[in-house]
Amino acid sequence: MPLHILLPLVVLGIAGIAVLLHLIGWSKPATLADDAAAKRAWLEEFPDDPPKRVVLSHDHHAALIETEKGHGVVWPMGADTTARYLTDAKISRTGKGLRIDLPDYTAPRIHLTLDAEEANQWPSLMEHPA
Amino acid sequence: MAQPDGAPRMTDQITFPDVVSWAVPFFIAAILIEVLWIAMKGKGGRYETRDAVTSLIMGAGNVASGLLLGFIAYGFFMVLWALTPLDLGTSWWVIAVCFVLDDLRYYWVHRFGHRIRWVWASHVNHHSSQHYNLTTALRQTWTGTFTFMMIVRSPLILLGFHPAMVLFCGGLNLIYQFWIHTEAIGKMPKWFEAVMNTPSHHRVHHGRNARYLDANYAGVFIVWDKLFGTYVPELEEEKPDYGLVHNLGTFNPLRVAFHEWVGIFKDATQPGITWRDRLNYCVMPPGWSHDGSRDTSEEIKRKYLAHHPEKRGTPGF
Repeated sequence: MPLHILLPLVVLGIAGIAVLLHLIGWSKPATLADDAAAKRAWLEEFPDDPPKRVVLSHDHHAALIETEKGHGVVWPMGADTTARYLTDAKISRTGKGLRIDLPDYTAPRIHLTLDAEEANQWPSLMEHPA
Repeated sequence: MAQPDGAPRMTDQITFPDVVSWAVPFFIAAILIEVLWIAMKGKGGRYETRDAVTSLIMGAGNVASGLLLGFIAYGFFMVLWALTPLDLGTSWWVIAVCFVLDDLRYYWVHRFGHRIRWVWASHVNHHSSQHYNLTTALRQTWTGTFTFMMIVRSPLILLGFHPAMVLFCGGLNLIYQFWIHTEAIGKMPKWFEAVMNTPSHHRVHHGRNARYLDANYAGVFIVWDKLFGTYVPELEEEKPDYGLVHNLGTFNPLRVAFHEWVGIFKDATQPGITWRDRLNYCVMPPGWSHDGSRDTSEEIKRKYLAHHPEKRGTPGF
C-alpha cells in the first residue's frame, strides 16, 4: 500500500480507536475492592512473598504492601494492576499524592493518588516496618 | 528448477504484494467490530484505552522498522538466492508448500523466542499486555532484525523458494494470526481445533499461568505443537491470565520495545561474574540468573506443583 495512504490510515485508525474506547468508558483505572484483592494483586507479581500487611488507599486504586523482604506498592496499569518493591525508591510529594521514582526500566515512575493524610503517612510507612 | 550456468532464472524478478500493509484497513475494521461487540454484549473480552493505544503504536512501529531495516533480511535472502542453483518457480502448489514449511519455520522461531533470552528480548513485547484482544495481535516487535532469526528461513531459500514468496507466505501467516487474538470466540469446530491454531489454543500461549507457560507456539497449524510436544489445551476450569510473569509498570512504547534488551545489557555487564555467565544472560531461557535468584518457567512450574501436587500429570505439567 502506498505510504501516503498507509500513514494517514494508521494515524487516524489509532486516534479513532483511542477516542472510541475512551468514550465507551474503558479508560478507568483498576480498583482494588478490599485488602484481599490488594493481596491477590501483589501475589500475582510476587507469589513467593506473601504480604504481612496491606494498607489500601482511600480511593482503592493503590495499596502499600509489607512483606518479609520489605515494602512495595500495588498500583493500576490501566484496568489491571502491577506491583514493585520500593528498593532504592525516591519518594516525593505531588499535588495529588506521591511520586515514586524507581531504578527500574520497566516501572520508572509511579504516581499514587492519595489524600493529604495518606501522602503524609505513606512515606514513613514505606521506610519503617509496622 | 536448476538452470544452466549464466541463464537468468524464471523467478529472479518476481514480486508479491505486501499483504500485511494491505490488511491494515481490515485490522482496523475488525478491531472496531470487536470493540462494539464487547460493548453491546458485555462479554467476549476486555479493552482499556492506554493498553490498546500502546499495542497499536507497537504495530505501527513494527511496520516502520520493517521499512527501515527490512533490507537487511531481504539482502541476506537475495545473497542465498544468488547462491542456490534451485528454483521451484511460483506455481500454486509451490506457494502452498512454501506456506506450510514457512509455518514450520515460524513454530521454531517462536519457540526460540520463548527459550532464548536474546530472541525473547524482541518477542516479549507481544506478551506485555495484560489484555487479550485484536489490538494485542498488533503489539509486535521493533527489534526482530537484531535477533538474526532470519537465518532460520535460509533452508527455504536454498531449497528454491524465492525470497519474495517466502516473505509473502510469512505475511499471510501474520494475517492469519490476527483473528486468533480474541476472547470473543470460544472454540471452533473440533476438526478445526485439531489442525489449526485457534483463539482457544493461542489464549493458552498468552497465559502467564504456570500451566500455560511455554506452550502452543504454532502460527497457523497447531499440529506442530502436537508433533513436538508443546501442545496444551485450554481448560474450562483454568482461564488464562494474560501478560508477563512480571508485568510492566509503563505504557511507554519505547520502554515496551526495549526493556528486555536493557535488562540483558544490565545483567551481562554487571561486575563480578564470569564471561560464561555474561553469555548465559544472553542465550539462556528468560528467568535464568547466575545465582539462581530468579525463576525460569521450569522453576515456576516446579514451585506451583510443590503447592498443588494434585495437578501433576495434568496438561502443561
